[in-house]
Amino acid sequence: MLSMLPILVEITWKQWRRHRLRTLLTLLGIALGVSVLFAVRTANLTLLASLNVTIEKLAGKATLQIVGNEGGFPESVWETVKDTPGVYVAQPVIEVLGSTAYEDGGNLMIVGVDMLGDRELREYQFDEEGSEIADPLIALAQPDSILISRTFAERHQLKDGDKLPLYTAHGKKDFIVRGIFKPAGIGEVFDGQIAVMDVFNAQFIFGRGRNIDRIDLMNDKEVTVDELQKRLRERLPAGLDVTRPAARGQGIENAISAMSIGMTVASFIALLVGVFIIFNTFSISVNQRWKEIGILRALGVERGKVQGMFLLEAMLMGVVGSLIGVALGYILAIGAERVMSEIAAKVFSYVATQQPPVFRFDYALTSFVIGVAASVVGAVFPALAASRLNPILALHNIETRQRENVLGKGRIVAGVLLVMLGLGLIRFGPMRVGINFQFSYALLMLLGLIILLPKLSELTARVLRPVMDRLFGSVGVIAVDTMIQAPRRTSATVGALMIGLMFVFSMGAYVRSYQQTVSRWMDRMINSDLLISTSEMARSRTYHFSPELSGRIATLPGVISLENARILFVPYAGDSIGLVSLEMEGWFARVNDVVEDADAGVAREKMIAGDGILASRNFASRYGLKVGDSIRLETPTEPFERPIVGLLEDYTSEKGSIFMDRALYIKFWNDNAVDMIEVNLKPGVDAGTVKREIERLVKGEHRAFVYTNSEYKRWVMNLIDGFFVLNYMQMAIAIIIASLGIINCLLISVSERKRELGVLRAIGGLRSQIGRMIMLEAACIAIVGLVVGALAGILNTYFMVRTAATMIGGFIIPFRFPFEMVLIVLPVVLVISLAAAWWPARKAVRMPVIEAIGYE
Amino acid sequence: MIRLEKVSRDYGENKVVHALDHVDFEVSRGERVAVMGPSGSGKSTILNLVCGLDDPTAGKVIVDGVNLAALDDDARTRLRREKIGMIFQTFNLLPTMSAIENVSLPLRLNGLSKKEAELRAGAMLERVRLGSRLDHRPDEVSGGERQRIAIARALIFSPPVLLADEPTGNLDSSTGEEILALLDDLHRELNTTMLMVTHNEEAAAHCDRILRLRDGRVVGLTGAALPAGEGR
Ligand SMILES: Nc1ncnc2c1ncn2[C@@H]1O[C@H](COP(=O)(O)OP(=O)(O)OP(=O)(O)O)[C@@H](O)[C@H]1O
Ligand SMILES: [Mg+2]
Repeated sequence: MLSMLPILVEITWKQWRRHRLRTLLTLLGIALGVSVLFAVRTANLTLLASLNVTIEKLAGKATLQIVGNEGGFPESVWETVKDTPGVYVAQPVIEVLGSTAYEDGGNLMIVGVDMLGDRELREYQFDEEGSEIADPLIALAQPDSILISRTFAERHQLKDGDKLPLYTAHGKKDFIVRGIFKPAGIGEVFDGQIAVMDVFNAQFIFGRGRNIDRIDLMNDKEVTVDELQKRLRERLPAGLDVTRPAARGQGIENAISAMSIGMTVASFIALLVGVFIIFNTFSISVNQRWKEIGILRALGVERGKVQGMFLLEAMLMGVVGSLIGVALGYILAIGAERVMSEIAAKVFSYVATQQPPVFRFDYALTSFVIGVAASVVGAVFPALAASRLNPILALHNIETRQRENVLGKGRIVAGVLLVMLGLGLIRFGPMRVGINFQFSYALLMLLGLIILLPKLSELTARVLRPVMDRLFGSVGVIAVDTMIQAPRRTSATVGALMIGLMFVFSMGAYVRSYQQTVSRWMDRMINSDLLISTSEMARSRTYHFSPELSGRIATLPGVISLENARILFVPYAGDSIGLVSLEMEGWFARVNDVVEDADAGVAREKMIAGDGILASRNFASRYGLKVGDSIRLETPTEPFERPIVGLLEDYTSEKGSIFMDRALYIKFWNDNAVDMIEVNLKPGVDAGTVKREIERLVKGEHRAFVYTNSEYKRWVMNLIDGFFVLNYMQMAIAIIIASLGIINCLLISVSERKRELGVLRAIGGLRSQIGRMIMLEAACIAIVGLVVGALAGILNTYFMVRTAATMIGGFIIPFRFPFEMVLIVLPVVLVISLAAAWWPARKAVRMPVIEAIGYE
Repeated sequence: MIRLEKVSRDYGENKVVHALDHVDFEVSRGERVAVMGPSGSGKSTILNLVCGLDDPTAGKVIVDGVNLAALDDDARTRLRREKIGMIFQTFNLLPTMSAIENVSLPLRLNGLSKKEAELRAGAMLERVRLGSRLDHRPDEVSGGERQRIAIARALIFSPPVLLADEPTGNLDSSTGEEILALLDDLHRELNTTMLMVTHNEEAAAHCDRILRLRDGRVVGLTGAALPAGEGR
């Protein structure tokens, strides 16, 4: 092999130069796949780095941080910490992702610190000039003081003494800018969207009661950080965590993991489509080089070497494509990170401080290696076909070119068996045998479909043939025949399309089914007349109402009763689960028949008395619990333990959720904040009227979102859509790469059939007929792709709702495939493939006939 | 029927090749002319010009009274489809189509239904004595049979003009003989005007006249005198 290497490389190089466009498109296919893979990983890493920078800058010189759960913990802990030997300084902190009352409503990170001691921990560089305040930190003692970053000040043209309106738990309040710090240290955080105020003011302003979010501390020189950490852990309640600032990133990583898993899956889909493009290119290349291969074989190149030559070529393509891919991915990562950090802020309330993309050599290397491997894998079968070529036949004219082998019975059986096996495993296989193992069910089905692809394309095309005949006459039929007669080329393109569309359909079906399930659930659970929420994203991690607001709403005319709900995430068994606390008496009065697996009356009594909790079904199945089992939670006060008195269906968290009475929550968590107010009206009172009433009440005071029941339900549906926005982006990527596959296929189809097209022209085919034929072929490919894509989509939807949904989401979602979606996608795919066909068609039409016929 | 007036065809920009150099000749209706000459003398170029696939650098190509230069591409294509049959040295059949599909192709491009087109194609294949090979693909028949499929395709419109570029070049002599006999029969039946490139004197003997070329120039036209004053 080695001695022949130079000449084989030379042959390959000549091929590339001769088919520049094809080479380019193939390289692009690999490059895109690799770039998406690399970009997603880089963006993820960069996002984490950006989030970590926020933590670090905010932590200042702190060596340890004490954090509780979302509700914070009592400030009395601060006293305990300060008194612990070995603590040099300890400072309480409150962090709120608040919102300004400006028109554009930008987010503002508000940090509450203790003005007396914080200088020791954090670096503040104040603008000296123009400031009359001797020490801005001292000025914070005044309750309306706020310090802002220069970046923010410039953005809103603020200077010392100006008013800054903010939404607080007690309504809109004007703060006075009493200092502007430079964009260094803390001033860099969240791209300067940051303000500082007094911690005890912040407690009140943001409805935190006597709670704080964090204590930042530094150890005495005599004590090591580890030693102090141990000491503090012994002294503090178990619900509090003592960590190094750097270790907090892990928690964030877990929180945003759902987002990154989704992205990674999508990037592999992109790569898979890339493999199809490679396969396609090489099948065609082998076909086109029939004669060359025959000559090489006749000249004494062994089978193995012919195969090696193609694999080598694939590897070279893989190397070049993957290199481009890594470079492209690095650029792409910048954009991807923007989107992801926006979602991190919106959905998870984590604030990123934009960082340049992190270049990790090992990530680049693995993406590169995966790209090269994918290219080689894509070329294996064509290379095998090339090596099996009969040299005598190959040396003949085009008429004697071997026909593409049509699918044998054995393969059909194998394909069907694989699909059945996958389906069977999904239906009857044991649950929770491991995420990778269960994903292989879907892979089995996919593999089966890929094996069946040529047959499926052929069957669909046969159905299409008479239709095309009727609609477009002979040109239409020739177009379909071209597809049927080249099953390999066709199915490679159709395969790329199939995977892309499968992804689109099953994702769409999943979102739809999910929405339907949630809608049914809402009909049972959400039946108050009005709902008031703190955020446009269901809830905010850091911004809450105070109970005083609901007190005022309760006095409005038309209101019979209301319930305050607090919804947060608390740690449980090394993960975090949803905790919903609300006023059980009122809640039980209005929900329909939600308690399962227990006597509803008994459960109600116990819940109201605070003697038990309700657990969501996915919580129970996730942790293998049933009614009667107790669960234990660490709280900022003392450990909480209550039995499960009933189950219910709930979609608060994919990790499971528990419900308890509000009084019980307040007692253990020392937190009376409110995330949502559910209002019940007197019969006959118009919800719209009261809504306006409430809006008037909160207007300019609170950042509150008031919904009527139906508005709320619609809003939740949109919210689900919003959460899936990343998935929609992934769908778009899948479609883009599939389109690339179509262009590639048609271009190849045109150049491969140069001679055939030339003959058609020579015996009297009009230019317009040739052009139309190529366009129709593209349309047929689109339709066949759509049909098999829908089939694959149905199978994959089944997998998603049964296995993926229970595995990742813990929810069982009913199976329903949205066939109307296929109809919606049809014109889109048609337009894309017709557009993709435009250039190849043009090329075919302009081709000089004599040259084409003379073409060997 | 076919007239070339001072036709030249140059190739290339820097190193110009005069593939044809002031060629004049005329073929009348029903006449059969063999085109002979060494390799590279411009034989194929003449056929390409006559069927309108190529344009002369200078001069006029007139087929059935029409100056090809005056026709646009579509009109030429239609002319080719309906009036000119083409037989290539290397058959140029579509490998994925059966004999009957190959032969019916020009009809279907003309808008005929598949059924009717195949009916006529079947009859034509019958005439070239391939009635038993209708559903075979080009790679499933012998070379002579392949050429007969190509002839059937060329004749499917019963074109007044038939152009053949070494129709027997790829065949052994007895099969070649068979093909030539077939062309004789068809000529008798349809009175086709034929221009046939060949290297083979025996094949040329089937024609009425022989046009001899060398380096793109006419060096002889046997069987009839050159038009007066045009000889070189
Ligand atoms: N596309 C082209 N570009 C450049 N030169 C060309 C082209 N086509 C033909 N020629 C040249 O024109 C001349 C005549 O070519 P033509 O194909 O007509 O020869 P021919 O008589 O058919 O030869 P043969 O018997 O080998 O088929 C040759 O010298 C050839 O090299
Ligand atoms: Mg020639």
